[in-house]
Amino acid sequence: MKGRKKVVTAMDALPARSKRSSPPKNRKGAPSPLDRAMGLGGRPRIETGSAAIADLGTAPSPQPTMSEREALDRIDLSVDIAPERGLLLTNPILVASGTFGYGVEYGEVVDVQRIGAICCKGTTLRPRAGNAPPRVTETPGGMLNAIGLQNPGVDAVIDKYGPIWQGWKVPVIVNIAGESIEDYVEVAKRLDGVPGVAGIELNISCPNVGKGGLQFAIDRDAARAVTTAVRRATELPLLVKLSPNVTDVRPIAKAIEEAGADAITAINTLSGLAVSSDRTRAFLGNTYGGLSGPAVKPVALRIVYEVAQVVSIPIVAIGGVTNLDDVLDFLACGAVAVQVGTAIFADPELPVRLGDELRAECLRRGLASYKPLIGTALPKRTGTPSAKGAEYRP
Amino acid sequence: MTMRLVAAELVDSRQILPGQWLQSFHAPELASGARAGQFVHVRTGDYSGLVLRRPFSINTADAATGIITLHFRTVGRGTEWMTRVREGEKLDMLGPLGRPFEVDPRSHHLLLIAGGLGMAGVRMLADEAIRDGRSVTVLFGAANAGHVYPSSLLPDEVEYVVATDDGSMGHHGFVTELMADYEAWADQAFACGPHPMLKRLAALAAGRRERMGVAKLGRRGGGKTDATGSAAARRKSFLQVAMEQTMGCAVGACLGCTVIGVDGPLRVCREGPVFAAEEISWEAIQ
Repeated sequence: MKGRKKVVTAMDALPARSKRSSPPKNRKGAPSPLDRAMGLGGRPRIETGSAAIADLGTAPSPQPTMSEREALDRIDLSVDIAPERGLLLTNPILVASGTFGYGVEYGEVVDVQRIGAICCKGTTLRPRAGNAPPRVTETPGGMLNAIGLQNPGVDAVIDKYGPIWQGWKVPVIVNIAGESIEDYVEVAKRLDGVPGVAGIELNISCPNVGKGGLQFAIDRDAARAVTTAVRRATELPLLVKLSPNVTDVRPIAKAIEEAGADAITAINTLSGLAVSSDRTRAFLGNTYGGLSGPAVKPVALRIVYEVAQVVSIPIVAIGGVTNLDDVLDFLACGAVAVQVGTAIFADPELPVRLGDELRAECLRRGLASYKPLIGTALPKRTGTPSAKGAEYRP
Repeated sequence: MTMRLVAAELVDSRQILPGQWLQSFHAPELASGARAGQFVHVRTGDYSGLVLRRPFSINTADAATGIITLHFRTVGRGTEWMTRVREGEKLDMLGPLGRPFEVDPRSHHLLLIAGGLGMAGVRMLADEAIRDGRSVTVLFGAANAGHVYPSSLLPDEVEYVVATDDGSMGHHGFVTELMADYEAWADQAFACGPHPMLKRLAALAAGRRERMGVAKLGRRGGGKTDATGSAAARRKSFLQVAMEQTMGCAVGACLGCTVIGVDGPLRVCREGPVFAAEEISWEAIQ
């Protein structure tokens, strides 16, 4: 291993942890009596009605008292989503690639420094103009998008945003895409060592581009090959984003883990279609689009649940998160962190607020950290992680 | 003025045309900072089941009373939800967003061209122009007399010329056919409406300077040229258009609302919604 400086070197500050915060280990004596008594069914649903709209800009919960404030501050929401290389987040709420630009666009209305991490717009080796408009449309409980990886190219991204990111407290994970393994490798190499780049998220699952994109995520060997190649090209923490558009995601996730990924992001959008109002053609310029939003949450939960049983690297969950209940659901299914995407468009302050709400939830349950909430819904198992999950068919 | 999240209280809501609504909101932060051409991104209630905000042109803004108005047509569940909002309820608005119309200080005669609901896009510019002592002619096109924007909702100083597709009021034909009568009078034109209308106007406006024999002011050789898309370049453009596109974030993050420009994709929410006609690649617009 090269003697490269870690991007984030606060590993020592973390409580000693095993290679994976596997549920059985975490649960060993961890759940408080309160937690157990509450169970999952007893959890109150979080109210997000018009009351929240009435006091925009203020915390939805009543102002905590002094002692509550201290207790809240003591709760540990930090998480390292790439334990071997170090990618320490102050909280497990990330913003998803493609929904938050390069982190600067929402700067006027959101305190971006309080977000766990920012995954920037998909970045390719050369500039891309993206797909023909229209590129987005709303669907029941979600939306379709077919942006087509419009971006100015990795060099322009580094020049323009690198210096900005360098001054930020919030880590920025650069989402990268390519048409060939060589493209991915070259982008990763150029990002390697750039100040302000905390990690790479390998987008092998974009459903909206012709060449590249999906082809790497639907085939186990291709996923292994691209992950291996990028792993060799960079020492940056490496996340790989899975596609739900596959028959069985588990062998692919396993291959990605074996190829040296530090973490898995699940899931990208589901391939979908909308029809124009006169019904003479597809609505989107690209014909197909990727479905996101609350409509995909059950699919994302299922995939996180499956992947959590076959890999031991951290899972960053994404898919339809709009409130704290969604965050807790994904944690329960084995995710260590959660990305917020489509919901940001309606509620830009949501990612920051979810961090606060998770903290309050821990306090309410008498937890010093949110870690005991991870994996509680996974099938009980003993000893080392087994391949038991692989026998399960949906 | 920078964008912000504002709780805008509905103070008045009425149907001004079949399926078209005019709503007034008390939102001093928006009313004092907004300029003609800008828009707000409105969140529907959580219980609406809708995941995206809705973009609306700011129809009028009155800094003195803190009132902004939105003019919209009910086209789906979001706008239908809005018609059921009651007075006193507050809507979550993000704004003001986008770049405004740019009027050349030397322009005295402004031609505003609106197709149907496009009136909402140029309506505020009429107020601004009259406030600044300019004369304004509004050309308005609709399907029939029943859909003609009420003249009572326009400032008295405006000359209002109507065209209807079926000839039931005013000129029988498209509003674009009225352009020829006014292009010599107008110093600048500002349009909002369906894309085919804007495309036709752009074709009519192209080459106007030469056709009309408009003198080029400034130094011989033209002096410096302003960068395409800059406010200065737009200010010099004869025709400015406010474009529409389905929109995601409205702050420039998602790249969902692009239209094709001559130099590549343009975000309607950030580089627009107002563009100089020369910035748009009209062959690509349907």
